[in-house]
Amino acid sequence: MEKLGIEPSLLLAQVVNFLVIMVVLQKLLYKPILTMLEKRKKEIAEGLHLTQKMREEEERLKEKQEKALAKAREDALQIIEDAKKQAKETEKELVAEAHTQAAAIIARAKTEAEETKNAATSAIRREAVDLAVVMAKRLLTSVMGVKEQHALISKRVKDLESWVAREEKKS
Amino acid sequence: MTLHISLAAERLWTVWGLPISNSLLTAWVVMGLLIVLSVLATRKLTMVPSTGQLIAETLVGGLHDFFGAIAGKRLDQFFPLIASLFIFILAANWVGLLPGVGTVGYFRSEKAEAAVEQQAAVIPGAEVAVPTEEDSHAPAAGTVAEETTASSAAAATKEEDGHGKTAFVPILRGATADLNMTLALAVVAVIAMQYFGFRNLGAHYLGRFVNFKDPILFSVGILELVSDISKVVSFAFRLFGNIFAGEVLLAVIAFLMPFFLPLPFLMLELFVGVIQALVFSMLTTAFLNVAVSHGEEEHAAAEHHASA
Repeated sequence: MEKLGIEPSLLLAQVVNFLVIMVVLQKLLYKPILTMLEKRKKEIAEGLHLTQKMREEEERLKEKQEKALAKAREDALQIIEDAKKQAKETEKELVAEAHTQAAAIIARAKTEAEETKNAATSAIRREAVDLAVVMAKRLLTSVMGVKEQHALISKRVKDLESWVAREEKKS
Repeated sequence: MTLHISLAAERLWTVWGLPISNSLLTAWVVMGLLIVLSVLATRKLTMVPSTGQLIAETLVGGLHDFFGAIAGKRLDQFFPLIASLFIFILAANWVGLLPGVGTVGYFRSEKAEAAVEQQAAVIPGAEVAVPTEEDSHAPAAGTVAEETTASSAAAATKEEDGHGKTAFVPILRGATADLNMTLALAVVAVIAMQYFGFRNLGAHYLGRFVNFKDPILFSVGILELVSDISKVVSFAFRLFGNIFAGEVLLAVIAFLMPFFLPLPFLMLELFVGVIQALVFSMLTTAFLNVAVSHGEEEHAAAEHHASA
């Protein structure tokens, strides 16, 4: 023992040394570090769990959004379709109205033209009568005397009046 | 110039009856170092670790996982002991390799040596003296306390008139290169085995050593007793032998060729330091496991029998 340098007091001192360092390291190193590691482990697990949840939520929202989008698209298509239909109807209506209006305008124009024609015809007729009277006057003055002229004229006027009356009755 | 190798740790002083050897001093240095480092590493623990915290976490967490694979569900009981064994032995092994440890010291006449304590710290039989031609030129500066910084090979003995021989005493010596240290660790480990055995199994644990049920179990008990005692010896000498041999090897290599050649051996010794720390703590874990699971099969069988 002596040759190996073993001494009970030194041995005991080293045992005490080791026990001291063991207790100190347990207090200073292992406990806080292991607690910290455990805490971090928990935190990470929680974080992962949360991430998973978030991902699911995201998936759900995405699905919802997609559904909404699809529905919106469908709606839009429907609306366009409706609008087209309505437009066509309106067009048809407009065309029909235009047709009737055109017909009415044409009819009115026709009657107007007729009236104008009638008025012109009667005016021409009157003028022709006046002209005939003047011409007859001139001719008769040169051929007959005043008495005969008057008799003839009044006879002719009577004839004319009766003609006019007849004509008027006719028309 | 001579090579100085001493199997035993040299005694520096005696304080209140306690001899202070250079390896005890180194053990205190190692302890101080470990305490300071762990305080620094765990002073401000945060969720996002700083570098120091990360290193401490890697070390402790790694040990926890590593020993968890051996100790299983009883790890929490054993962990302070085996982790401290590993960390302390590793630190002690490595501190012994630092330059200056084992080389910085002073010369002491044998008379002074005898005055410090009755027995000389340097065992004559374990002293290897390699005389070289430099011996004749060596100045007689033995009385002056001198730091030898040249290499780990230290001038051990010098001739001096009047006082006779003087001995070189290094101030620091690898803590695990002293049998007191390794024996202390071994004793703690083996006592811990018995402690955890009794704590987990109660009086049933005694059946491991003393068993009168049948002659075979009785002799097995004696064998167990002997093996536990031999564990102390094997633990102590394995660690001491490896580390001391490493230091001797380094001293010899440095003595022969002080530059560059020691480097690969230094690397090797760093590696040996880790391996020995690992072996010590792993064996302790395995033996602890054996101790606390003594007679588990019998227990299980008995319970099975009772329930059936």
